[in-house]
Amino acid sequence: MNTNGNIYTIVYTTLIVVVVAGILAAAATFLKPSQQANIKAETISQMLQAAQFETAGLSNASKLDKYAEEIECAFVIDASGAKVRDLSVSRDNIQLIDNLKAQNYAIAGKGGYETGLPVYILKNGVTIIPCYGAGLWGPVWGYLAIEPDGCTIKGAYFDHESETAGLGSRIKDDPAFRTQFCGKKIAWGQKPSFEIIKGGAPEGQENAIDAITGATMTSRGLDAAINTWLAAYEPYFTAVKTTEEE
Amino acid sequence: MTLKETFLTPLFKGNPITVLVLGICSSLAVTVTLKGALVMALSVTVVTGLSNLVLSLLRKGIPNRVRIIVQLVVVALLVILVDQILKSIEVTFPIDKQLSVYIGLIITNCIVMGRIEAFALGNKPIPSLIDGLANGLGYGMILIVVAFFRELFGSGTLFGLQVMPAGYVTNNLVILPPFALILIGCIIWIHRSADKSLQEK
Repeated sequence: MNTNGNIYTIVYTTLIVVVVAGILAAAATFLKPSQQANIKAETISQMLQAAQFETAGLSNASKLDKYAEEIECAFVIDASGAKVRDLSVSRDNIQLIDNLKAQNYAIAGKGGYETGLPVYILKNGVTIIPCYGAGLWGPVWGYLAIEPDGCTIKGAYFDHESETAGLGSRIKDDPAFRTQFCGKKIAWGQKPSFEIIKGGAPEGQENAIDAITGATMTSRGLDAAINTWLAAYEPYFTAVKTTEEE
Repeated sequence: MTLKETFLTPLFKGNPITVLVLGICSSLAVTVTLKGALVMALSVTVVTGLSNLVLSLLRKGIPNRVRIIVQLVVVALLVILVDQILKSIEVTFPIDKQLSVYIGLIITNCIVMGRIEAFALGNKPIPSLIDGLANGLGYGMILIVVAFFRELFGSGTLFGLQVMPAGYVTNNLVILPPFALILIGCIIWIHRSADKSLQEK
């Protein structure tokens, strides 16, 4: 058989591509549920770590258990800080808003607030909010845990897609970096309300931490991500504070 | 060549990294931790093995003019499958995330296409499978040796467990890619001193 003819070549390549596409589509459909379960457990684990719960080494199932045990309620808010709808927190139907990229577009004014900004409130009164932005090579994101007073940071956890190993990746890998956040205060009403300062935060400044040496762009990106998202959440926290004072 | 030789040559005398100097880019990128290197080594072994097997089975029907494209389609299929499977298993999910683009970049690993062109298209399926697996293992072996030193001195850990005494100051040079090149250079040096037949006159 002539394997070099035009007809043969076209039929052969078409068949190969169709078969390959079929296999890939089947694999993607089949594997999607377990991939999403992994992503969900990871998101939950990062939120819990921001709120200073130890989740390292836990299986996916125990991460969900731990979350269901600690969470009080979760809901999404709109741009004015008003609650839009609840998110389920029951163990078997935990709802998260984990597509932070879409929310980030909304905050930047590139789309509506339809999906809303998530707020997770734990039984101990701590509120967890996410943040998302651009690092040096790819997105950086994380979770801030805020004490019931609405301005003191209990803890934080950050992650990234492709920051430089050993430098920018320290936002995730270096516990000393995220420990700096513990006990700091968000200066609501100020611009910026929180700062990551290259060369070190001045002593006594309550809303600032030290940037990472050798990772200026990652630090700047994270600083911008935190401030953009804090600004979006400001109406909510201001409203909470006013209600409490009354 | 006997099957035994087919298997042993890529491990030592024809090692893809130390002798053929292929797959260097990824061996610099993924050897920061042992876990990452191990997953990468297994993934590449699966891809080289299966792509050699599949293309050896197809070798008589592939139109010569689109040979490379057909090879690429098969390799890409296998790499995407490996990536998807790693993402769906609880244990490998965090490692896949850490390796990020490098799993996808197995497609561009010269070892894969090199072995298809040089071996699978001219040999029967079983020897091709063995050749592919052995090349993946030969690559993985070097990866693991490099990762052992980089994780030990760069992070003071092995497989994520602390082994260096408390207070060990981690070495940032070891974490950065240039050090992997230095280590691979040393391995090539040792390999060539031990096996005189590899030395150029």
